[in-house]
Amino acid sequence: MSKYLKSEEQQLEKTALELQAHALKAGAQAVEICGTFLHKTKITLEKQDFHLASADDNYVFGVRTLVDGKQGFSSCNTLDSKELKEVAARSVQIAAVSPENPYISIDAGPNLSADTKLDLFDKELFQVSLQTQKEWARLLREEATRDKRFRLNEGSVDIVAGATIVSNSKGTLMRASENAAYWSLMGMGVDGNQITSFDYFQEMARNPAQVQEKLLLSTRDFCTQLMDGLNTGTAKSYKGLAAFSPRAVAHILLSGLSYHFNGRNVVEGSTRWTSQDLGKTVLHPDLTVQDLPWLSDRTGAALFDREGFPTTNTTILNKGVLSEFLLDSYAAKALGQTHSNAHAAGGPTSLPGVGAFCLNVAGGRQSREDLMAAAAAQQKEFLLIHRFSGNVDPITGDFSGVAKAAEWCVEGKPVHVAKEALISGNVFEVLSDGLFGISKERVIINSAEECPMLIADGVSVTGNQS
Amino acid sequence: MKDLSDKLKQLASRSPHWVEFRYHRRNVQTLQVQKGLVKQLKSSITSGVGIRVLVNGAWGFSATSDLSDASLEKSLKQAIECGNSLSQVKQSKVKTLPKVTLAQGEFVLPGYESLSKMSLEEKLEAVRRAEAKTRERSTAIETASGYYNEIFEDKIVVTSDGADALSRLVRNEFRLSAFAGKAGEKASATQTVGRTGSWECLFEDHSMESLSEEAARLAVDLVGAPRVQGGLATLILSPAMVGLLSHEAIGHTVEADFVLSGSVAAGKLGQTVASPLVTLIDGGKVESAPHGGGDLLVDDEGVPTQNTEIIKDGVLKSYLHNRESAAAFNVQPTGNARAWLYNDEPLIRMRNTYIQPGTQSIEEIIAGTEDGYLVDGPRGGQADSTGEFMFGAQNVSRIKNGKVTELLRGATISGQAFKVLSTVDAVSKEFKLDLGAGYCGKGQPAKVDAGGPYIRCKALVGGIQE
Repeated sequence: MSKYLKSEEQQLEKTALELQAHALKAGAQAVEICGTFLHKTKITLEKQDFHLASADDNYVFGVRTLVDGKQGFSSCNTLDSKELKEVAARSVQIAAVSPENPYISIDAGPNLSADTKLDLFDKELFQVSLQTQKEWARLLREEATRDKRFRLNEGSVDIVAGATIVSNSKGTLMRASENAAYWSLMGMGVDGNQITSFDYFQEMARNPAQVQEKLLLSTRDFCTQLMDGLNTGTAKSYKGLAAFSPRAVAHILLSGLSYHFNGRNVVEGSTRWTSQDLGKTVLHPDLTVQDLPWLSDRTGAALFDREGFPTTNTTILNKGVLSEFLLDSYAAKALGQTHSNAHAAGGPTSLPGVGAFCLNVAGGRQSREDLMAAAAAQQKEFLLIHRFSGNVDPITGDFSGVAKAAEWCVEGKPVHVAKEALISGNVFEVLSDGLFGISKERVIINSAEECPMLIADGVSVTGNQS
Repeated sequence: MKDLSDKLKQLASRSPHWVEFRYHRRNVQTLQVQKGLVKQLKSSITSGVGIRVLVNGAWGFSATSDLSDASLEKSLKQAIECGNSLSQVKQSKVKTLPKVTLAQGEFVLPGYESLSKMSLEEKLEAVRRAEAKTRERSTAIETASGYYNEIFEDKIVVTSDGADALSRLVRNEFRLSAFAGKAGEKASATQTVGRTGSWECLFEDHSMESLSEEAARLAVDLVGAPRVQGGLATLILSPAMVGLLSHEAIGHTVEADFVLSGSVAAGKLGQTVASPLVTLIDGGKVESAPHGGGDLLVDDEGVPTQNTEIIKDGVLKSYLHNRESAAAFNVQPTGNARAWLYNDEPLIRMRNTYIQPGTQSIEEIIAGTEDGYLVDGPRGGQADSTGEFMFGAQNVSRIKNGKVTELLRGATISGQAFKVLSTVDAVSKEFKLDLGAGYCGKGQPAKVDAGGPYIRCKALVGGIQE
């Protein structure tokens, strides 16, 4: 139990036990409680200025119950005993009207072993004052508006400290606490009649010593890239090679693939691959994708999953071979496996689903520069895609949308930002026969996924110059 | 509710600063059925009071889920501390809020009572039948999914300058998806409805049967359908797509907070920005389309909502305001301040956004189109500071020589909002709000609706290049 959120953690445990007892008394045969406490202070910026300061504490609890193989769920944000009793009873009532489902279960999880220790709580950050937080917000604003062409639409510095508990009537009791500072900016560049697209970034740090340096660096990078968008030109229409920056890899390609890694979607029959495909080459042999939940510099880092199972590293795709799907208990049972691989996702207001924690795409052999030059040798001009405003159809893998602030490259070098360029293609085609190369350098996107740059063939670009 | 309202009024009368108390109780029931199994059946209650103060021209905010006197007083004190701290660094102080007739009394939209009396079993059974029926419609349907969600909202808004409003409404939504596959190709189609009101009003325009039939037919037809050729094209947009255009392309650019940050609509009041056939409105209640998914009688600052003419006969007439932005522009607030949960700050958000109908029939408009596309099935969209928008379409049909010919795969539509609206040369008399199942994202979600007639315009289609 953390020394710094001790009373809140005690409150979580006490309320979880209370809810569990109420649910069992109401007729549940098994009960799982997921509870969180969150303390957040926030300084918001708007229109180049400070806008609002806020503080908020809240507890949230979710009660999952099983009655004769039927599942119920209800959630609340109260500590009131009478209301807690009603919420537990509501969960049991819902179970009573639910149909039976053989794959639903509430299971005892193994205890955490010592080697899985992941410390996500920093005592110094916990003691940071509103004054210091205001100072960080001032730095964010000053750095962003140093270039007078930057228009700050919205920004914030948040400090969040929280505790989570997952317990069940089978004996599972998992607790964790964490805190972090987050900062974000949304804005655009304006120079006379020239306006860039809106852009946004968010970063985080888990201790105060890192905040200032990381905040200044990330803001500077963001603003520099945004201002490059003032140098606009045209893009030609073509079908052929296109480069995907690490951000575009995360937002277009990885998001398209993630649906098909999800064990629940496999169970429902809407994925491209089934259990029969495990061990087979399904994508280009240069592609490796892993989920690494113990990376403390990522927002998704977690010691245990939504069902209270200790998390582990999972290789989903190994050199193009499908190794594992992401599974919670439900998906594992439905796919005939004995154990989940601890990928139950969600919070206290939702039933467990399946999700990744910190996805990582492995880098390739060539440097970014060499890769761009190699692509230019095959195709003199192409688009370098950064931000995507569009849709990826998870079923077909088709993507179509506007490539925001994409760069038009000639002989492998960006020459200007392409205005109004539309792109379309198919994630599976791009990541199999279409894959041209992967850079060895990788970037962490918004403190979440880590991806390399990737160049692929078969992408349609509709530019504003014929 | 009356006791709480009295307590909040007492606290407001004692506050040394302008203060707004907003009690919000949200009771959500969600159910989802996929491939015959119940994927989700859950209930969630979130309630609490958000307290916003204006201290020396700076905003402070705090929230609590504990409604005891001690907790409310502690939270008010915390909000004042936050506002006070921010006022020391805020450069441009918030002006005195404009005097306006604030809402007092009860504001109840129909449907709340009848929907709360309908049993969860009945709703679940209806969704199960619809999902099963969808799977039975074709051997090519591999799986289907039915989703129903209802949000009961109870609010009290009390301000120290006179708002004393109790409001109550329920919003519901239904989605039915079909997933089809043939010879290794897959496709999906989704039909949605969303309303503010009873179960009966949710299905008054589209029965569950017709939604199931259409989702299945489209999914099967879309398997292996050809892709659209990318480029500038003549488009006939369905009411749902017109809603997306109105919301994404225009609505966001005229939200006064974006205008103050330099959106493309800044400085354009009184200018011709669209074809004279275009009149665009954002309203709290639409006379000709009752039960809109964004219906609202009083906003979260206690301001009665109104129907705001944003564009009248092609001329930009008004922005969308909260009390702060109305003060900055020296106009009256338009009732657009909305918060998602009790612990969210109210932001400027749309309600029901639509283009007014014209005089031609859709058949006449199609017959008068030599070469173009009929675009339907909104799949999300985004707008930019530049006025550049993109939205996804599930299905696109080719029009050749005045006749609808082949069905094509979904695509992305893009363009510069005002430029596209200037190309409108036909507006149908058929009209409906058709985006009630949608959510708008702007830091917080918001339930909105949008729609209009069929319109013909020119925009970029993101498709393939040969």
